[in-house]
Amino acid sequence: MKRSKIKMNIITNKRKLKEKIFLITIFILSFLTILPLFHILISVFVKGFPVLIKGGIDFLTGTLPPPGQELGGIGPAIVGTFLLVFLSSILGIPIAVIAGIFAYEYPNSFIGRGTKLLLQIMMEFPTILVGLFAMYIVVVPLGTYSAIAGAFALAIIIMPYVAIATEEALREVPKDYKEAAYSLGLTKSQVIFRVLIKIARRGILTGILIGMAKAAGETAPLLFTIGGSTRVFFEGIDKPIGAIPLLIYNLVQQPYENYHQIAWGAALLLLLIYLLIFIPIRLKLREIKI
Amino acid sequence: MKDKFKLYLLPFTSLVFGIFILMLIVYFINSLKIFEKEGLAIYFTNVWNAAEVPEEEFYGVLAAIYGSIYTSVIAILIALPLSISYAIFIVDYAPRKIREWLIIASDIMAGLPTILYGIWGAFILVPFLKKYIMEPLYENFSFIPLFSYPPTTGFSYLSAGVLLGIMVTPFATAIIREAYRMIPHTYKEGLYSLGATRYEATKVLIKYIKPAIVAGTILAFGRAIGETVAVSLVIGNTFNIDISLFAPGYTISSLIANQFGNAFIYEYMVSALFAAGLSLFFIGLVINILALYILKRWRYETF
Repeated sequence: MKRSKIKMNIITNKRKLKEKIFLITIFILSFLTILPLFHILISVFVKGFPVLIKGGIDFLTGTLPPPGQELGGIGPAIVGTFLLVFLSSILGIPIAVIAGIFAYEYPNSFIGRGTKLLLQIMMEFPTILVGLFAMYIVVVPLGTYSAIAGAFALAIIIMPYVAIATEEALREVPKDYKEAAYSLGLTKSQVIFRVLIKIARRGILTGILIGMAKAAGETAPLLFTIGGSTRVFFEGIDKPIGAIPLLIYNLVQQPYENYHQIAWGAALLLLLIYLLIFIPIRLKLREIKI
Repeated sequence: MKDKFKLYLLPFTSLVFGIFILMLIVYFINSLKIFEKEGLAIYFTNVWNAAEVPEEEFYGVLAAIYGSIYTSVIAILIALPLSISYAIFIVDYAPRKIREWLIIASDIMAGLPTILYGIWGAFILVPFLKKYIMEPLYENFSFIPLFSYPPTTGFSYLSAGVLLGIMVTPFATAIIREAYRMIPHTYKEGLYSLGATRYEATKVLIKYIKPAIVAGTILAFGRAIGETVAVSLVIGNTFNIDISLFAPGYTISSLIANQFGNAFIYEYMVSALFAAGLSLFFIGLVINILALYILKRWRYETF
């Protein structure tokens, strides 16, 4: 009797020990998971903030200095990023919203199902491939790097985010509204564009904002499309233009100390733009797809 | 077609398809030139002869394919334990007040512009790994093939793999967390009422969401293999096939990013890079379809 009790105790202790090891492992690994995030955020602030202070307003409006000298500014890249977000939104959002509506309204048709699958694949697609494609389709025929080529590439990248958000937001609208709208004698397009879209507008808007945040932060699609001008602000949408992410990518690879500093300053600016778009929508809406 | 509305929507929807198909066609047509010249040798040799004379040009992207797979495997090995632990922590142990913040934190990480990972990786992660991981391991264990390459610059498969691991962890976490959260409460209660410890209960529950974990891993692998700028800043961009973690290398996407700018000077290089892109295209396609299929089947069978 006693013997079996001791045996039981040993087993219980073993289980308790395993439990402890398990819990400690979970805590440590979870800590390790968020550590890089804070390290990245803090590093960008610590390295970028002094640059912004030192550069002052010139950092936002000036142009790139010669290597090894003063700080100058990243004005053309800032203008370029905003222009690219704007242009790619105009190009991409209408098509994406309609594709989303189609996938919602005809979920069982061949094209409807195909659209949804395709959008999900596009969401995960290597963005460098889109960049190369845009180069071949727009840059080669035009014979020059241009804002419109970059916007074309970014529009393709925005589309799946907006379309899937639209489809999901529409699907979440209770069926009653749809039936009530139909019973009033509205046509299909009236039901969707006048009733359902308005109820689902928040979800759709979230998708649009996430798409814009993506457009502002992408680098690879711009490598061979926009030309990355650093001293010229804007000469037309068929001319080369800059962008903050591309500027950072190019400056990091340079051996000059002042270029590295500018890169950190630009990184902080990009981070702020991203957080400014991302935090509000994230706080308002609980679940979103990245 | 009776449905007029459908008819109006169709052109726009087809446009999405059209772009995708056009993309595939563009990659195919541009790859043809190099296929005609070299055949499949483009994928199975490690040569990069950019010559002025077209006859002397020869391109083989094996090193880049090797590097892409190697770094992505490292990334997965890092991301998998981290994301499973984080998902368990958020769902089971995090106090309610900070739970939402932890989710927001990982969502911010998942959407962070990748160039920010790149600048952090190049200026902070690489020197750190070089000093505290690579140099000690090389000095003491260089007889092991994995650690046999002298880490002179720090730009290496390991740096790229670790950076990619950090980048894809929040993404894998989101999928695993979602699945883990959806497990019916009765299962958990049942396990605890049987007297299971938390470890034993979690072990069973994790097995239950195994398909979601597999799908999350595959999708994370897909993200890692397609990532461009962050990797290109830390991998060293060298045509190299080496077993050592500390050796510099190339990935398919970083190869394209690095070489495409001057490719037009040469007769065949553009085509070679499109062929490299084509391989990435198919890897991306297969990976995504596979993962989506697993996820869909699992959701269908269990809920």
